[in-house]
Amino acid sequence: MSEELTVIGKPVTRVDAYEKVTGQIVYGYDLTLPNMLYGKALFSPKAHAKIKKIDISKAKALPGVVAVVTGADAPWTHGEAVKDKPFLAHGKVRYIGEPVAAVAAEDEDTAQAAVKLIEVEYEDLPVYIDPEEACKPGCVEIHEDYDGYRKAPFMVRGAAPNINEHFKLRTGDVAKGFAESDLILDEKYYVPIIQHAAMEPHSAHAQWDKESGRLTIWVANDAPFRALHEISEALAMDKEKIRFINPAQGGGFGSKGGLKCEPIAVALAFQTGGRPVRVKFNREETFISTLTRHAATVYCKSGVKKDGTLVAREMTIYWDAGAYAEKSPTVCIRGSLPAPGPYRIPHVKVDGYAVYTNKPVAGSYRGYGIPQGAWAGEQQMDELAIKLGMDPIDIRMKNIFVEGDMSYWGEQLHAVGLKETLIKATEAIEYGKKSPINKPGLKIGKGFACIQKPTRSPTTSNAGVTVNAQGEVTVFAGTVEIGQGCNTILSQVAAEELKVPMDKVIMHQLDTDVIPYDASTTSSRSTYHMGNAVRSASIHAREQIMEAAAPMLEVGVQELALGDGKVFAKDQPQQSLPIGEVVKRKLGINGVVRGEASYTYEIGKDLDLETGHSDHASAFYMYATQAAEVSVDEESGRVRVLRMSAAHDVGKAINPLNCEAQIEGGVVMGIGSAIHEELIIDATGKVRNPSFLDYHLVTSLDCPQLIPIIVECHEPEGPYGAKGLGEPGLAPTPAAIGNAVADAIGIRIYDLPLKPENVFWALQKNKKSAA
Amino acid sequence: MKKQLNLNVNGQDYEVEVEANRLLLQVLRDTLDLTGTKEGCSIGVCGACSVILDGRLVSSCLTLAAGCEGKKIETIEGLAKDGKLHPLQQAFIEYGGFQCGICTPGQIMAAKSLLDENPKPSEEEVKEWMSGNLCRCTGYYKILESVMAVVDGKTDPNYAFRKRETTAKIQSLDVYKSVAKTSSD
Repeated sequence: MSEELTVIGKPVTRVDAYEKVTGQIVYGYDLTLPNMLYGKALFSPKAHAKIKKIDISKAKALPGVVAVVTGADAPWTHGEAVKDKPFLAHGKVRYIGEPVAAVAAEDEDTAQAAVKLIEVEYEDLPVYIDPEEACKPGCVEIHEDYDGYRKAPFMVRGAAPNINEHFKLRTGDVAKGFAESDLILDEKYYVPIIQHAAMEPHSAHAQWDKESGRLTIWVANDAPFRALHEISEALAMDKEKIRFINPAQGGGFGSKGGLKCEPIAVALAFQTGGRPVRVKFNREETFISTLTRHAATVYCKSGVKKDGTLVAREMTIYWDAGAYAEKSPTVCIRGSLPAPGPYRIPHVKVDGYAVYTNKPVAGSYRGYGIPQGAWAGEQQMDELAIKLGMDPIDIRMKNIFVEGDMSYWGEQLHAVGLKETLIKATEAIEYGKKSPINKPGLKIGKGFACIQKPTRSPTTSNAGVTVNAQGEVTVFAGTVEIGQGCNTILSQVAAEELKVPMDKVIMHQLDTDVIPYDASTTSSRSTYHMGNAVRSASIHAREQIMEAAAPMLEVGVQELALGDGKVFAKDQPQQSLPIGEVVKRKLGINGVVRGEASYTYEIGKDLDLETGHSDHASAFYMYATQAAEVSVDEESGRVRVLRMSAAHDVGKAINPLNCEAQIEGGVVMGIGSAIHEELIIDATGKVRNPSFLDYHLVTSLDCPQLIPIIVECHEPEGPYGAKGLGEPGLAPTPAAIGNAVADAIGIRIYDLPLKPENVFWALQKNKKSAA
Repeated sequence: MKKQLNLNVNGQDYEVEVEANRLLLQVLRDTLDLTGTKEGCSIGVCGACSVILDGRLVSSCLTLAAGCEGKKIETIEGLAKDGKLHPLQQAFIEYGGFQCGICTPGQIMAAKSLLDENPKPSEEEVKEWMSGNLCRCTGYYKILESVMAVVDGKTDPNYAFRKRETTAKIQSLDVYKSVAKTSSD
């Protein structure tokens, strides 16, 4: 680019700052609609059971109750890849926490009291907690009608019971590879269920207007267009009849993408005579009835030559899907595909199985399957190095993806900034240098891990950009501000292309009646896809302004330039017009110039379902290395992270302050998943710790010294060279900490989290076997 | 049973009639429409509902509204005076001390109650005090930086671009200090 960038690449203050620090911004659950009713759901107390009878008569008779609904009133199912999930349970329940019935009442207390009056008779069915058990021959199908469900075309059903997706990757011949290897390691790793725990619990409002046939849903949903599509398909209702409006969103991390409170609110809204209904989950309901991250059991076998060259890697991953498919099929595909790691490996075999169990539903979670694969693969890289007497850096340097490499899934890679992240992250914590601490009972160690993450492809983003006669710019973009800072990034893009100050740019509220289609705010796709769309829409608006200005300034379009909100002649800058003035002269005082654009990243060949190969599996790849220094208290088993570095290849940092913020937040979330987070579910399928008292989030006291490092490996298709950043922040964190713990105590721990008792028992076991 | 209450919120008197078992959080949000105070966990763990009651930081989700009669209640809505932001609000903007923003009112109220009592806390004191306010987005670094910026008088109401000092304050902590003190905690 010949022109100098004015606002791209600058640490601009966030555009949503004022309304957030003053408490003025309205989140989903803050919203009160005129004449609103309060909805509450009855959740299943059984993990797997037939519903024999539901009696709602007592609930209906309670004064103040307006509607009571059950599955009979809402005979619809929905789901992203598999249409397997009823709005309210149909005939059976599949997990503790599944919505069975719901009440709308004049106030919340009445709604809650009425829910308690609903009587349900259940008949128990076998409960499956472990995915490896659930797919053994002879097991009862949790979804007996699975074959009759509507499904996405890329789905491959497993041969065994309860498998909703079987992903296969086949490259080379692993048997031959292992035969040629000098050293083979074969281990089992485990990652438990964790939860997003966004600070705002889930809620949704719905209103059905019988006269117009319109259904309006107010909800903080990451992907309103996809949610609209799901509702429209489920109800067989025209998309034009459905409207989604997004209030502000208090975090998501993947939990607010599919339909959670929405189906309950919609089922109630059809029965309230046009009155709007709010369904608000409390924290416990959010824990048991929204979404979790997949537990994963990962079998990882690697073969290497004496010099550290990777020859073969075979992985079998069981993704614990919970009771409904949600995003399990795509987590299984996009998590299993790069699970062998960012390395050149000639012989690769991966089998990923997403398996139904009678547990809360698992789905998308920041990192989308990468942390689970990395926990296994990156720890095994260290073990291989140690067994070969190599430095863990050297073994990775020998095999790591570099520019132009052919990946094991058949795609030639470009814009690979991985090596730089590895060097910078390990240098930042002085990897290889021994800690000065020498205290009996306290062990210090260092470790690191590398990852590569794809984005969801192919997808489309549309955008509109208007410029009015006051010179104000409005951006119409369907990216949801979930806290990640997209409104600031997209404002920067529009401000850059139209050369206006940031405070002249407004992001329009997300309303599907007004905003053009966007695939979703997921998968770190927004800066790249929506950034490209907003950039092109801004250029489209700019071209119209320039064309209009040329005759006004009596020069050719080619001789015009933009700067500081004005159009001017390049050789006579004093000959200028504010852009608003151009719009006014052309279209009048209420005139608006509108630029429009659409951006789609087209993939090449579709994923081959037999080999998992694709010549373009992802629009771009994000690379990262994180390194950790930890202390382990030998007496208590407590792991403390002392310092971490996190080097992320972002392509181009459109806003370095925001990139830093994303890295910091991601790493700290990753530390939680590494050292204490775990949703504990007992043999009956009951969540034992559904509160912040028992499910521990990281606090300010647990945060180590952190060095965020931005690496910029220009992505030619991205806006200004940008890729994405939101998701990889926590992906290598547990593996880096796991490697550091192993370095500290000389014992490898294969199961997360690295909580004191797990580490303590590993130390005790080691003592015993040494004695 | 309904009960009549006189509440003073941000210097303004309100007369409300609510059920006797109503919590301060419910009255603020549902009765007075002051939704800046947030609900995160409902059990006094997360700090999203933090308000200042007669100068003391409390979780409004654990405080009965009936017990607040005659006391001064401060919420996020009362912080900016005459269109001028409180220095903490200014610092949270400048130093990016928020992301989704839902915990931000609680974070700012918690920090205010600390600084009201002790305008010059150490970094360690700030880190410890703020540990009662959970945040899932930021990793806390920029929140702590924001508070320290007020302590050190480093906010600039006229600033446009933040000077790039990469998490300088928090980075200066000695990583080994905490483990060197005690081997078992």
